[in-house]
Amino acid sequence: MVVSLSRRNGLVDFFYWVWDGLDRTVFIGTKFSFPARFVSPFGFLGMLTFVVFIILGVSGALLMFYYEPILNRAWDSVEKINNDVPFGFHIRNIHYHASNAMVLLAILHMYYQYFSGRYKIRNEILWVTGVILGTVTILEAFTGYDIIFSERAELAISIAASLTNSIPIAGPTIREAMFGSGFHDFVLRFYAQHVFVLPVVMLGLMAVHLPRFLVFDVPMVMAISGAILITGGVFPVDMGFKFEPTVPPGITVPEWYLTGLYAFLRTQYDKFVTGVLWPGLFILALLVVPFIDRYKKFSWKDRPLVTAFGITGITQIIVTTYWGFYISPDTAMPLVQRLVIDPILFYTVMILLVPLGFGFSYMMIKMSKEAERKAKLAASKGPQKVAQIHLSAKWINWLIIALLGFQVYLNIAAYNAALSGMNNFSLFLIGVITLVFAGLFHVYRYGMNEAKKIPALPPTIEKEIPKSIGVAPSTAAKVPEKEKSPEPKLTSKETTEIKTVSALSEDLKDKTTDLKKL
Amino acid sequence: MKACMPEQDSGAKGTLSRRDFLKLLGAAGTGLAFTPYVPWGNFMPNPDTASLEKAKVILPDDTHANVNTYPINHAEVITYPKTGDSVLDEEAFRKWQFIRLPPELGGDAKDVSAFRAYSMVCLHLWCLWKYWPEEKRRRGECPCHGSMYNPLTGTAFVGPASLQAPPSNTLPRLTLEADVDGFLWISPAKWNVNENGVVGYGRFVKS
Repeated sequence: MVVSLSRRNGLVDFFYWVWDGLDRTVFIGTKFSFPARFVSPFGFLGMLTFVVFIILGVSGALLMFYYEPILNRAWDSVEKINNDVPFGFHIRNIHYHASNAMVLLAILHMYYQYFSGRYKIRNEILWVTGVILGTVTILEAFTGYDIIFSERAELAISIAASLTNSIPIAGPTIREAMFGSGFHDFVLRFYAQHVFVLPVVMLGLMAVHLPRFLVFDVPMVMAISGAILITGGVFPVDMGFKFEPTVPPGITVPEWYLTGLYAFLRTQYDKFVTGVLWPGLFILALLVVPFIDRYKKFSWKDRPLVTAFGITGITQIIVTTYWGFYISPDTAMPLVQRLVIDPILFYTVMILLVPLGFGFSYMMIKMSKEAERKAKLAASKGPQKVAQIHLSAKWINWLIIALLGFQVYLNIAAYNAALSGMNNFSLFLIGVITLVFAGLFHVYRYGMNEAKKIPALPPTIEKEIPKSIGVAPSTAAKVPEKEKSPEPKLTSKETTEIKTVSALSEDLKDKTTDLKKL
Repeated sequence: MKACMPEQDSGAKGTLSRRDFLKLLGAAGTGLAFTPYVPWGNFMPNPDTASLEKAKVILPDDTHANVNTYPINHAEVITYPKTGDSVLDEEAFRKWQFIRLPPELGGDAKDVSAFRAYSMVCLHLWCLWKYWPEEKRRRGECPCHGSMYNPLTGTAFVGPASLQAPPSNTLPRLTLEADVDGFLWISPAKWNVNENGVVGYGRFVKS
């Protein structure tokens, strides 16, 4: 048997062939870059959201094999998935926690783009489709947790249908057409929207929304997947109570991304205004931001008004989200007192948050500008204090071997846990495996980069000159200060990463030859 | 070639030629002429087909409710209209709170005036409310946003449902009748706001 140590063996060649062939497809405009070192995940949160979308698609497709969208069987089929189907617990938890992760990542992605001003300069289409995509993502998550048809899901469906019904003039028609006439239709149609209509809409919007340069950072993707799995292991999603029409449900609170809306509904005001108009206005405000923001600069520090609006919005979201969750635990109080939020207090707080948000933004801008000024002053004098970890090739090898061994151990442990019925523990361990893989990949990547580096120059030997003679050392052995440490300064542009490195090393080669000549 | 077809050239620069415009008009007109005959809206809604006829008040234990045996200040869930399909009968829109009023509201009367049947779908956001017979409650309460209903009239007096304009503050109600043996029946319902009301929307209180 011949074993090739060349990295371009037949299989790899095949993958390269496929990869090159993709140039002829719709992917021609998309450039993937696999960063060669750690880059901040804020820059590619959108890509992470997309990866979670794929995870949701796969796990959701698996759930479809068992789920039954029928009024009196939906909950029982989910229970079967959760308790009886092998690995059904895992798939359901991955699907549930990935949906939360997707909503969270989409929100973080939006706010990062908002504060860094990325929606400007012909990115308006990306921004507008992104906001719609985010709204559809929340609808998708919402329809998902409704079709379990537990008590909470039934209430959520009721509220969704009656809010649609409350739209003036067109409401009842829209409700009849989209949701049907009764709960049997609601469950079936929410399911149809959840597994087909909304995902297709999302894919269509993504075709417009995905930019041409995509960063696929393997360790970060694995870390996010691991986080989803670990959350699933530590906080496995419960079944709730099966909805029985003869047993009115207890108090339930919606999922965290809707409790803000729930707080508004609890102020007793008209359901259309609080439940449809306010969130609609919020989404509309986000949609028009790029057309209102006339600042010439990008940074949040240079766009005080836009930043202040964003900060105010975030504080209001946080406050209403918490307020929506909070229900007085005192069961002796009448239900209405526990549930209803005093509208005067609520809206006063909302209004008070505006000057607070503006003041906070003003303070942050002041402070960061001051910090920038000081950093500039400090940069001109004194050494750069950047801590770095350097591992030798030998230690990198040992570390990779140790991590591989740990992986083997974790795999056995996870399999053993699944076999002995400890579902959530096995899910947790799979999450740890994924995280360890992320670390492993990062160490590997680091090692590959280290190997590419030009080895440091041997220390220059100064000629031993007897002191008594007192002749200055010859200039030939002196190396200019700058070139003593050939540490390439990399730019933060991930896309040109490899090119920069190779260009720099070319540059350095020239310099070393120069030195040798000397 | 250009010289042969001058009329095609005229519309080339982004403007619509008169002939093309007329063609478009003709095509659109033909299409529009047929639209009223296509029942566009019929596919998506799935209207309820249960027939509204006189029905027995069947309690959850499958017995026929009777004036002489049903306890005072007590509520059960009944289904109307029944379809015969056990799945469709589970629907919240077919569920009614069947209440015998407390004594102070006339619940000890031995006739149909002691009974009420209100839609369980709360008029605010369609959660399911329930009658609470405890001493200081004796009212319908919704678990979602705390609306409370007067068992005598079905009108909300506290909570978000009470702030909605009529008819959306009063629950739909079934008309009940009793036969000579005291057995209770539901009269055929008329789903409009001036009669039995519309489930999830409300009912005008007749003065």
